[in-house]
Amino acid sequence: MINAYRHTSKWLVVAPIVVMLLFVVAPVLNIFSMAIQIDSFALLTTPTTRNVVWFTTWQAIISTIVVLFLAMPIAAITANFDFFGRRMLISLISVPFILPTVVVGVAFLELLPTSIHRSALAIIIAHIYFNFGLVVRIISTRWQQIHPHLEDAARTLGASRTRLFLTVTLPLLKKSLRSAGLLVFLMCFTSYGVVRILGGPARSTIETEIYFRAMQLGDVSGALVLSISQLVVVGVLILLTTQFGTTNSAEFRQTIYSRIRRPQNFGQKLFIASIALISTVAVLAPLVSVVRRSILVGERTNFFAWHIIFTDPEIFKSLTTSLKYAVFTIAVSTTIGLFSACAIIYGSTRYRFLNILTTLPVVVSAVTLGLGLIITFDVNPIDWRGAWLMMPIAHCLVAIPIVMRIISPTIRDLPNGLRDASQTLGATTWKMWRTIDLRIIQPALLTAAAVACAVSLGEFGASSFLVRRNNETLPLMISRLLSRPGETIQAQAYAIATLLIVACVAIIGVVDYFGTEKHR
Amino acid sequence: MLDCRNLVVTYESTPVLQNLSIYIGAGEIVALTGPSGSGKTTLLRCIAGLEVVDSGTIHLSGEEITAKPAHLRRIGLVFQDNQLFPHLNVAENIAYSLKIQGIKQKLVDEKVAEVLELVGLTHLSQREVIKLSGGEAKRIAVARALVAQPKVLLLDEPLSGLDPELHTRLLQDLGNLLRSRGTTTLHVTHDQDEAKAIADRILDINELMQH
Repeated sequence: MINAYRHTSKWLVVAPIVVMLLFVVAPVLNIFSMAIQIDSFALLTTPTTRNVVWFTTWQAIISTIVVLFLAMPIAAITANFDFFGRRMLISLISVPFILPTVVVGVAFLELLPTSIHRSALAIIIAHIYFNFGLVVRIISTRWQQIHPHLEDAARTLGASRTRLFLTVTLPLLKKSLRSAGLLVFLMCFTSYGVVRILGGPARSTIETEIYFRAMQLGDVSGALVLSISQLVVVGVLILLTTQFGTTNSAEFRQTIYSRIRRPQNFGQKLFIASIALISTVAVLAPLVSVVRRSILVGERTNFFAWHIIFTDPEIFKSLTTSLKYAVFTIAVSTTIGLFSACAIIYGSTRYRFLNILTTLPVVVSAVTLGLGLIITFDVNPIDWRGAWLMMPIAHCLVAIPIVMRIISPTIRDLPNGLRDASQTLGATTWKMWRTIDLRIIQPALLTAAAVACAVSLGEFGASSFLVRRNNETLPLMISRLLSRPGETIQAQAYAIATLLIVACVAIIGVVDYFGTEKHR
Repeated sequence: MLDCRNLVVTYESTPVLQNLSIYIGAGEIVALTGPSGSGKTTLLRCIAGLEVVDSGTIHLSGEEITAKPAHLRRIGLVFQDNQLFPHLNVAENIAYSLKIQGIKQKLVDEKVAEVLELVGLTHLSQREVIKLSGGEAKRIAVARALVAQPKVLLLDEPLSGLDPELHTRLLQDLGNLLRSRGTTTLHVTHDQDEAKAIADRILDINELMQH
């Protein structure tokens, strides 16, 4: 608790609590109560559901194992070596994770041979691509915290390089590997956009099945039962992630030395160059294929699709809608995220429940959130199903947990002595917050705003439920255009996807710029 | 025993070691003194095989080891900040080198118990290393290096940062331990009193270099 702010913190909790209770807790409780009433749990034992659950699970397990395996070499070079283009490479491999899932889906639809479209393999490849950067970042960050002298000690005690890796480095990375693995499993288990685009009718995960039952079969009770089942599994996984995410900081407190060094010999240089080159090609190939397809109609190159997306009123409307919702999401999610983070850190321990409350949208998953919102706000006087505000609110709910986790560490790590010094120099509480706290957390706030923007631009799960004729966003427009025949129409979907890629690359640039040491 | 001749190490065109030569006889304890930044730690890292020398040679018991990998040199190094493996407990830290040598578990246990008794910490064998006090951690770091039976033991300011009472006690214990085992030792310190108390010979690093 920070004494100077303890009175303010009780006001800060109000807005996050109201938003979360109204738009997350109430819909989730509603799902539970409706599911219990309709008694549809027999659905869980049908062969179709069993197949869906089995496919959801095994594709997530395989995607996780492969992505962990592939991420190790690049985590090794970024954690250990200083080489030309290192920072750019880290930014580049982060791009896929921030891309809208729909864009990842369409990229692989274009890149992969037609023979493996609509297959489990296509979905797994897309999941690996999507999560690769996240895993590299988690492992590389932890690897950099291992004191290089620990490895030197092992060498002088007789450990060869392989033995050193197996007996010292790997055990010290174990927690981050588990944590990254669980996160990836969670992402793949609740995958929606990629599966909708690449899976087709034959390949469903629980998320796509929820959508299919609720929106296409009209079987809301079946969708509710599946939602609850997924909610329980994801809840347990999140608990495990939190458990494994807490590293014994004492193991990593000795970080006075930087372990990043210039490559020493030709072998190391060759290894670094090969890994960097392969990673760059792997990240860029799907993106280039999207851009290429946007200017290719039949065998001919033309910019007709680009001309249409800026002149067709319907598509242009979806562009402005996406931008409008992104601005709304940035404003609301950073405000609520900032309030929550401040209340938890400044206030007494009784505000810690906000941590759980603001994690709920992740546990619930975007699709379930969308379903919960439409079945909750469907009776007068709160029949808000047609209200334009529902979709950006859903975007905010998805963004808030991420925003919170970007801002919180910066506030928590701020030395209290700075505030004490400010007070003794005559600053009032407000002035102290403005000149010390806000000034230092500003880069984190900007990073959070950029990520919130990416979340909103790419949100597809909840939006699929909340979309109305007049408020389609860009990912929804891509999905609709892809379902229609005609090369020119398909090219328009790729042109929109290109726009989203450009936006995401710019966002990663902002995030990495403000993530540098000079901005901390 | 350990013979380093004309060692040259340069970091980004800044000379760190310039034609440095040093000889240590078998069973001898030599203290190496010098101001901060004079290259004492770099010399230890070169001898241990953790840094590459630009030129010069290192011989150990007559064999040239200049290009030999660190893990094959059998030269022990105790770091200033101990560097005990945080994921292993006290006994596992000490047993680390023995397991690498493929020694049977029963013999490993015996050797660990023996060396723990030597440093007077038998009761801590199962303790997590992050829960050790400063003095205990130092003793375990020395025990871990000694159990590997190194041909030469390098100590990089092993007693810095300890309170005066503990410093005096550990210095005495360390001296007795090294002499009783006849361990050839190069002890780096910037404390002249510590050097006098433990070493057979005291060398100043600046006098070992030919400018």
